[in-house]
This record gives sequence, structure tokens and C-alpha cells, in this order.
Amino acid sequence: MSNDPEKLISLRINGKDISAPRSHSVIQALWYAGYPRVKGVGCLQGVCGSCRVLVRRAGSNKVTTELGCELLIEEGMDVHFLIYPTPPHQSYRLEEIRSSWEVQAKFHEIFPEAEHCRHCAGCTSTCPKGIDVERGVELASKGRFSEAGELFVECVMCNLCQTACPEMIAPNHVALFSRRVTAYFHIRPSNLINRLELMRKGGLKVIE
Amino acid sequence: MTKAKTTANLNQVLLNPACRVGADFDAWMGYVGGQGLEKALEDPAAVIQMAKEADLRGLGGSGFPTWFKWNAIANQDAYRDVGEGRERGAVSLAERDKYLICNGNEDEPGTFKDRVLMKECPHQLIEGATITAVACGINKIVFYINPHLTACIEAMGRAVEQWQASRWPSRVAEKTGLKIEYCVKPSSGHYIGGEETAAIESVEGKFPFPRGKPPYPSDFGVHGYPTLINNMETLSNVPHLVRNGVEWFRNLGIGNATGTKIYCLSGDVLRPGVFELPMGTPLNELVNNHGGGLLVGKKLKAVFTGGPSNTILTPKDIDVPMDFESVAARRSALGTGAMIVVSQGTGIVKKVAEYISFFAASSCGQCPSCKTGTYYMSLLLNRIGTGQGTRADLDSLINLCKILPGSGRCHLINGAVKVLDSSLYHFMNEYEQSLLKVEG
Amino acid sequence: MAKGIPYNIALKHYRAQAERPMPQTDFGEELLRQYHPDYLRERCVDLTVGPNAGDPCHRQLAEVLQGDARIDEADLAGSPEVETDVLVIGGGGAGCAAALEASLAGAKVILATKLRLGDSNTVMAEGGIQASVEKDDTPQQHYEDTVKGAHGELDRSLAAQMVMDAPEVIRWLIQQGMQFELDQYGDLMTRRAGGTSAPRVLYFRDYTGLEMMRVLREAVFNSNIEVWDYSPAVELLSDESGHCAGAVVSSLKDYKYILVKARSVIIATGGIGRMHLNDFPTSNHFGATGDGLVLAYRAGARLRDLDIFQYHPSGLAYPPHLAGTLITEGVRSAGAYLLNAAGERFIDELKPRDYVAAAIIRECAEGRGVYAGDGQGRPSVAGGRTPGATDGKCGVWLDTPSIELRQPGIIEKRFPKLLHLGTKCGIDPRKQPPLIYPTLHYQNGGAIIDREAASTVPGLFCAGEVCGGVHGRNRLMGNSLLDIIVFGRRAGQAAAKRAHGFGRGPKKITIEHLRNFRRELMLANMPLARKSPLLFPAYAKFDVDSDYDGLRKTAAAGFIND
Repeated sequence: MSNDPEKLISLRINGKDISAPRSHSVIQALWYAGYPRVKGVGCLQGVCGSCRVLVRRAGSNKVTTELGCELLIEEGMDVHFLIYPTPPHQSYRLEEIRSSWEVQAKFHEIFPEAEHCRHCAGCTSTCPKGIDVERGVELASKGRFSEAGELFVECVMCNLCQTACPEMIAPNHVALFSRRVTAYFHIRPSNLINRLELMRKGGLKVIE
Repeated sequence: MTKAKTTANLNQVLLNPACRVGADFDAWMGYVGGQGLEKALEDPAAVIQMAKEADLRGLGGSGFPTWFKWNAIANQDAYRDVGEGRERGAVSLAERDKYLICNGNEDEPGTFKDRVLMKECPHQLIEGATITAVACGINKIVFYINPHLTACIEAMGRAVEQWQASRWPSRVAEKTGLKIEYCVKPSSGHYIGGEETAAIESVEGKFPFPRGKPPYPSDFGVHGYPTLINNMETLSNVPHLVRNGVEWFRNLGIGNATGTKIYCLSGDVLRPGVFELPMGTPLNELVNNHGGGLLVGKKLKAVFTGGPSNTILTPKDIDVPMDFESVAARRSALGTGAMIVVSQGTGIVKKVAEYISFFAASSCGQCPSCKTGTYYMSLLLNRIGTGQGTRADLDSLINLCKILPGSGRCHLINGAVKVLDSSLYHFMNEYEQSLLKVEG
Repeated sequence: MAKGIPYNIALKHYRAQAERPMPQTDFGEELLRQYHPDYLRERCVDLTVGPNAGDPCHRQLAEVLQGDARIDEADLAGSPEVETDVLVIGGGGAGCAAALEASLAGAKVILATKLRLGDSNTVMAEGGIQASVEKDDTPQQHYEDTVKGAHGELDRSLAAQMVMDAPEVIRWLIQQGMQFELDQYGDLMTRRAGGTSAPRVLYFRDYTGLEMMRVLREAVFNSNIEVWDYSPAVELLSDESGHCAGAVVSSLKDYKYILVKARSVIIATGGIGRMHLNDFPTSNHFGATGDGLVLAYRAGARLRDLDIFQYHPSGLAYPPHLAGTLITEGVRSAGAYLLNAAGERFIDELKPRDYVAAAIIRECAEGRGVYAGDGQGRPSVAGGRTPGATDGKCGVWLDTPSIELRQPGIIEKRFPKLLHLGTKCGIDPRKQPPLIYPTLHYQNGGAIIDREAASTVPGLFCAGEVCGGVHGRNRLMGNSLLDIIVFGRRAGQAAAKRAHGFGRGPKKITIEHLRNFRRELMLANMPLARKSPLLFPAYAKFDVDSDYDGLRKTAAAGFIND
């Protein structure tokens, strides 16, 4: 093949010097080199958000946050796994919101920090999925929940934005709240409701 | 030639009882007030040269030569505000804006010297700032004070009023053409607001986010104007330096060090407090003579210098002369002159965890590497400190110390890494002993 | 066996071409019998011990089912005990649904998961969830499609229960806060899947599983359910009468065992992809190592269909480190052909998964595949050695450039995930076809349950992929997300109900079932060296992980005492 995927790359992962073939992800590189890695490994396809890593590339001072299963190794890269999850600190139940008129007030009770956003953009720059996280928080604070939720379609709940927020806002949970209330209060599909009604009246039995 | 200095030189200059008169203009004038300023007005250009010869340093922690910053401001072309943009060009003295921010955001654990200067010697400070302004052609002076220090804000406010009502502003204007405006501005109270570019943002009325450098404040500061930022202690030295001359100032210090330093002693000592001593006084003398030694029955384990953003000194360093160079030679730093004394029996891991948590809470959020990095360091430290940490957690901490430095816009992350790295260097055994015990 | 055409030569001969003729040959059932891995009888053994003794089982699975426990009596001695009404083992979709329902019914619930809550195959499901909601569709049709897909070999009552619950499950999911694609009037959008007689798959972009999992996880976190992450269960506990009475849960955090005394236990641990059966690569989550099957089996639960697995036709075959990564069926639905090394189509690409997979294996086995071995035989980390090719890197083209030719821009718009995958392989799927080979995707068999998700052991419930009988020999797309919620909820409700019926819980918790199982193993002269459950695939080197030393050492000490 034109760009040989088997060429060996040297890098450091969790302080260990490792060589692995080009186009390996950092998790695979670690396994390839024979090191154990259990914590911080999940779906290996970029959707579970387990494998958060800090990365410093050769010749750069910058340290970025990425997902280890998606990050391909590069020469001279320095990678560090962040294995411990960040637990959510807010608590709410959708059933306790009596009507959609109350959502905004409830939101600020549940996420009092959200309106304190200082617009440092740390959450947006830390997001491995490229979501405009800060904008989502702003929209949610203004009560524009469906818009806010829409920005977070690709969110994998890796919690990096929560770790990155100096005001202790949990942006991913803010967004998930936004998405959930949108479904809870506003998704009322007539095709589903009709089907449920019909079945409630005893129709549509299955004959085995 | 070494100059012998003893404890007799305690509180001889800045904290001299005669200086500690509060917002009492007449008392200050009755002592030495105005002498330094008068000398500066005679020959403003000489002041910067004096600072250079006297080796006056930034006493807010950096130890950076003060004259260098002053020179940069004094040499700035004048700017004129032409609406939206700002245009370089020759304008008359009276039209240019240059800012001096007197940094009194003091928020680091273990540091509590500037508050004494602001509350008890506000006129010394105002005169120091005015001399600096005269020397550098500055026309706007902002006293930028931590809002939690209400007594300081009150004292400084009253002192500024007295100063403005005095003959000095018109005297300055007459001699130099500078119409100096003074203002007392409470900072946001965030630790990060003490960083110089963050202070500029804050003075502009915004959240104190550190800016990337360059441009440096001397080129592009408050509203784009050249801006000088000095620590309160640095400025308080100025009237005395100008009044008494370089030779006098150099003689105050021990060895190659010059001037005095206000040390903040805290922790497990008998008499914690602020002590103005010759720069270069040995740690031993501060702790044992002035601080009255450790609490009865306690033995020295470590000293966190300069507030926790610097590093640790251990008992073998007790003889270190406390000036910038000597402390640096011991793999540590003088910083703000804070000395937090820790005795045997105190858990270093827990202590460091406490400091790193402070940094994690203080990180401004702009750089995820800093915010996430400090969060993780504090999480791992807390795990180890509470006996739940594994070998992998410790390895993780060691690696974070390698990967994180220099990754932030400002130095907060470096400070956090420094104290952690230093504690790992000196107390690795203790970290290892704190790890989760494995049975079998 | 033939090696196939070398990658570079095949690629040189490949030309993107909008239309290609459909092959005329149809091998029917014969194709499956000859080439589907399930029909390779030499890969099966008859189980010697346990409730399924005498039944056929895949050899690798048999090894762990008839393995020795990781723990011993000695480990129970010093371990703390915790009491709860319901213990849920597994933190995927089924586990969360079960925990939520049990908690709603008033039970005290502990949910123990091997990794983090939500680390599961659920989160990776792209396609959708089936429910008959359209006017021209009925649960009866859904049922019949399911039976047909299963080749008739399923538990009909479970399938009937599943399709009848489906619409209510969708409502439940929406009330948990899950979103679906809606049309302009706010109705649920539906699409067809292979083997369905009506459009019935509800979906959310290509992220149906992700959307479901994050909503369920959030619901669990915001409930009274106690979540233990990094806590794999290593053995069940039983009471005097052999009923399930809890589990031994280990912790990857502090190396300790905790004995969880539970009135009901729900196993929702998912499938076996990471066992890499027949050396196949897998599309599964890192934790899918069949732990639940092992626990249930040793506790006396009957299993079924242990020789039937689903191989998804389009798993990536090259480069080796990505072997097994799934390319969604949607690409074939959009019209992408499958081509052999000669550039010919060889099967109707939209046939059920088992046929298509078998056809790909046939092409490779008969030397018409593309061979991408490097000749050095370096083992791949994902365990991806494929049978039919000596060096294990054989496959066929998934002709993505052809759909791009027909509809320029479609890949970027509809398959961003595929583009991203291309970057990782160093190819642009709009210009160059990815090489694919079937990937181990789903475990069709598993624990036998009834409509209330109760296993054959009183007190033990099972839900999700760990169960057998719902999908027979072959599962339809969109029925797995449905299965986990239907039986997850049922398990939660039934487990809570059983817990309420108790007085003060079982008096004694033992590992008596383990003693019996060990006796059986010894009497049958079975080796005791193999420890199970596996917990992690071998290449994760879990057993040498310094973090986990404690557990390993304690286990070893227990073994010596024996």
C-alpha cells in the first residue's frame, strides 16, 4: 500500500516508551507493545467515552484531550490516560417537572451553575467530538432546550467538559437534560399513540 | 564582602512603626513622606537607573528585575485613542495614557504581606506608585485589591482621597506635565486575577482570563495601552530607595542580596506572622528566632516556600539564605516570601492534595490541560492520600508532572506541577507508603 | 486452501463502476451448511458437565463454561457483606432498564458493572429498534418476520411477548427522554431492515444505541439505584435450596471482594464477541466476554443454542488492527455491492446476514478473495485471524465508490462514521473500497428464560444478549435493542416482585453450587486450570495488570488451599 501501515512509530504512553505500527490507535499500540490496559477501555469505536487521554505532540507545548480509541499514534507523541470517571453532581427526575411551562425554572434549580458560565470556552476546546459545548450551555440557560440538545447529538458523555469547567457546570448533563425534556414533553407521535390505543383496547393480539 | 546582619534589623523599613500610620496623610508626611517623590521630580530619569543599580526585584513572586519592566514602559511610544483603532504616533505628553496596576490581589495560601502594607502604610504605597508613574510617564494608577480585604480597600480609598486633596498632584503636573488619575479597583477575588494579564482583563471590567503572551502588557495592556504591573511590596520600597539612595538599599540585604523582604511565616511555628528582614536572612533565623521555633514537641519536616506554587525545602535546607538566587539553588524558589512550616506527623500527600485542590479550583478554564490536569492531579492525590491509591495512580501522577508543564497560557499549571513534582522528589517514600496495601 | 489475490494486484484491477449485474447462482441452505461458521461441526463439542451436559456447544465457549471459578471458600471468609433486594449485574441497556424498573417498584437496587455504567454493546448499536407502529404493520407481522429470520428455531412465546411489548417500550423510552427521528408532523419515522415485511425500524440518526444508552444511564444516575462501576461479578451465591442468593462482586478499584446478598439477581452481561470464536474478529465492546453465561451455568441455569452466533457480513478486514470494526448494514442498503478480487458480485447483498456472511467466506475459501497478508504473520491485537486464509487477512471489497458514483456526496452526508473509519485505515472510501470480512457480532443463544425473564434457577433472572431463544438461529436488525428493553424491564419488575415476597431474605449464602460443579468437573476428569469468567480478552493482559494483582493473588492463594 502507498503509505505503509506497518511502519513502526515510537511514542510514550503513560510514561512508557512504546513502538507500534503506524495507524494503530493509542489503545492498540499499548496492547501491541504488551502492556496491560483494562481501565479506560470501552467500545473501541469512539462512542462510549471511556478512553479519555491527554496528548502532547512532539515539538508542541500544547496538551489536548482526545479519545484513545480514535487517536492514531504519531511519532514522539506523549499520551496519558484519564481513567477515572467524573461523577455527576446534580440530581433530578423528569417526573418531578409537572409541565413544560416549568422546565426553565426547574432547569435553573437543577443546574444553578449554568448561568454562571464565564465563557472561557474550555469545554468547547476539550470536546473530542468537536461540539460547540459552550453555546449549548448558553442556549439551555436561555430556555432554548431543543436547540441546545440538537448541538449534542454526537455527545458520548465522556465528561471531559465537566472536568474542564471552572464553574462546575456539567455541560454534557445540561445538554442531556435539554434532550430529555424535549422528548419527555414534546415527542407525541400519533402513529405510536394510535397503536398503543388500539392495543389497549385489546386489539392486535399475536397468534403464536 | 559579606555584611553581617542580625535580628536587630527586624521591620526596619517598610514595616517600620513610623510608617504604619494607616490612612493618615499628615503622619506619613511628618515622617518621611514626600521626600522620595520630591527627589524623583527633580530627575525622573534617574529613578529607573537607581532601581537597576539597587537590584530591586519584583516581590510578588517572580523576582524579575523591576527596572527592566519600568524601562519597557518608559520607552513606549505614546498612543492616542482615535476611536475604534489605536494609532501610534507622536502626541504631546498630556495626551498619552499609560497604566500602572498596583497588584494587591494577594490570594495564595500562606501569603499575607500586601494586606499589611495596604492597610497600615497606604501612603507609602501611593507615593511609591506615584514615583514609578513619574519615572515611566504613567498617568493612570489602579490599586487593584482583592475584594475580600475590605479593610485594605477602605484604607486605600481614604488615603487616595487625601492624596488627591493634597498639593502633590498639582506639583507632579507642574513638574512633569502628568495628570495622574488614581483609582481603587476591587479585583474579582479569583486567584487567577493576580496573574498580570488577567489583572488587565479585570481592570477592563471583564472576567480575569489570562491572555496569551506576546503581546506583553508593556506593549498592549489595559484597553491596548502600555501597562505596568507591580506588586504592592515592590512599590512600597520605591520611596525609601529614592529617598536614601542605592548604596543604602544595597546595604540592607545580606550577601549579594539587596533590600529587605517581608516574609510570611505560617504553619506549625510558635509565632506566625509577617517579618520584614534583610533579604537573604537564613530560613533558620526566621523560623527559630523570629517564629519562636516549632510548636512544642514538634520537629521540622518541610517548608512550602512562596505559597504552594513553589516547592518544598526540607530540614537539610534550613540554613538557606532566603533570597531569590540562594533558594533557587536548592531546587526551590522564594516566591512571595511565604514560608509554610510543616512538622513531622503531617501527611505530605494530604498537604499537597490540599494545595493542588486549590489550583484546580482556581484554574480559569481557558486551557483544558490546566483545568483537567489539576483536576486529575487532585483526584489522584486524594485517592493516594486517603489510602485508596494504587501504584498505577502514583505512576500516573509522576507522568502528569512530565506531560503538563508549559501547556497553559499562564503559569498556574506550572505552579501546580512544581509543588507536586517537588513533593514527589523529596517524599516519594511517603507516597509509596500511602498506597493501597495489597493482601496475599 | 487458496490464498487469494494479493491486495495490491486486486486493487490495481479494481475500477469504480456504477452498475454491475446481480449474480445468478443461488446456493440456498447449502451455502450456510458449507460455509457458515456455525455449521462447522468440528468447532463444536458436547458439554460434559453442568445443566446442559450432552448439548453441543462451541469449543471455546465450552472451555469457559466448564472452567473453574476464580474464587474459593477462603475468599468469602474475610469479605464484607452487603444486602439488597435486587442485584443487577451488567450496566448496558438491559441492566439499566431492569434496574430502573426494579427501583420504580420500590426495591433497593445495586447495579454492578465491570467497567463504567453504559460501557456496552448497546451504545454501539447504530441501526435502530423495531416496533410495529405503522398503519400497514402489526405485531403479528413483526412476530412472523422474527420467526422467519430465526429459521423457526426460537421460543415463540418470548418472540410474541417481545413484539407485543414493543410499542409500549418505545413510549417508555420517550418518557425516559430518548429522542427518535420524526417526520414533519411529529410521527415516528420508520425504515426497513433485512428480513422485515414492513418499515418497522425506528431510529435516531446512526446513533440509536448511543442516544438510548446515555438517556438510560442518566436516568439510573438520577435514581436511588446504587451503581458500582469497575466491579465485575466473579461468581453467584446460592442458598441452602440452590436458589440464587446474590453474587461475589470484585472491585477493580481496591482489589476486594464484596458478597452481595440479594433476594433477586438479574444477569445482563451481554454477549461473547471478545472471545473471538473461531478466531474471528468482533464488532463487540471490550467487555463482551460471556461472563454472565458462565455465572449462570455454574449456578445451574439451563442455556440453549450455544453453537449459534451471528456474524455480521461487513466487518473491516484490513488493516489488521481494525479488524472486526463494523461498517453499518446501511451501506449495503444504500446499494453498495460486494465484489470479489475479480471485481464480480457473488451474492444478493441484501439477503439475511447469515447468507451474506457465508457467501463472503465462500469467496475467500475458494481463492477469489483479496489477500492482504504481509507475509510476516504478525498477530493482530484484535485477534483477527480469519479461517479460510492461511495468513488471516483475506476479504472482499465493499464497493463504496459505486454508491458515490451513483449519488455523489452520499457518503459524506449519510455515512460520516464510514469516512472517519477510512481515515483510520488510510483510505478514502469514496475512491477506494474497504476490504471486509464477516465479524463476530451477536450471540444468538444463551440462558433460557420465561416471559418474566426468569431463568431456570429460582431467584436468577436474565435479560438481553445473555439470553437465548428470542432470536433463534438468526437475529433481525433492530430486534436486539428491543429485546434488551422488553426483557430488561420485565426482569426488573419480576425481580422486585420476588424480592417483596421475601421475609428477611435468605438466611445463609454459600457457594455450594460451586462445590458441586467442581466435583462434577473432577469426576469427569476435566482440567481445573482454566479460570472463568474471563472478564477481559487475553490481549488486555488483565491478569498481569498491576492494578489487579491483589485479586489475582488472592485467587491463587485460594487455589493452593484447595
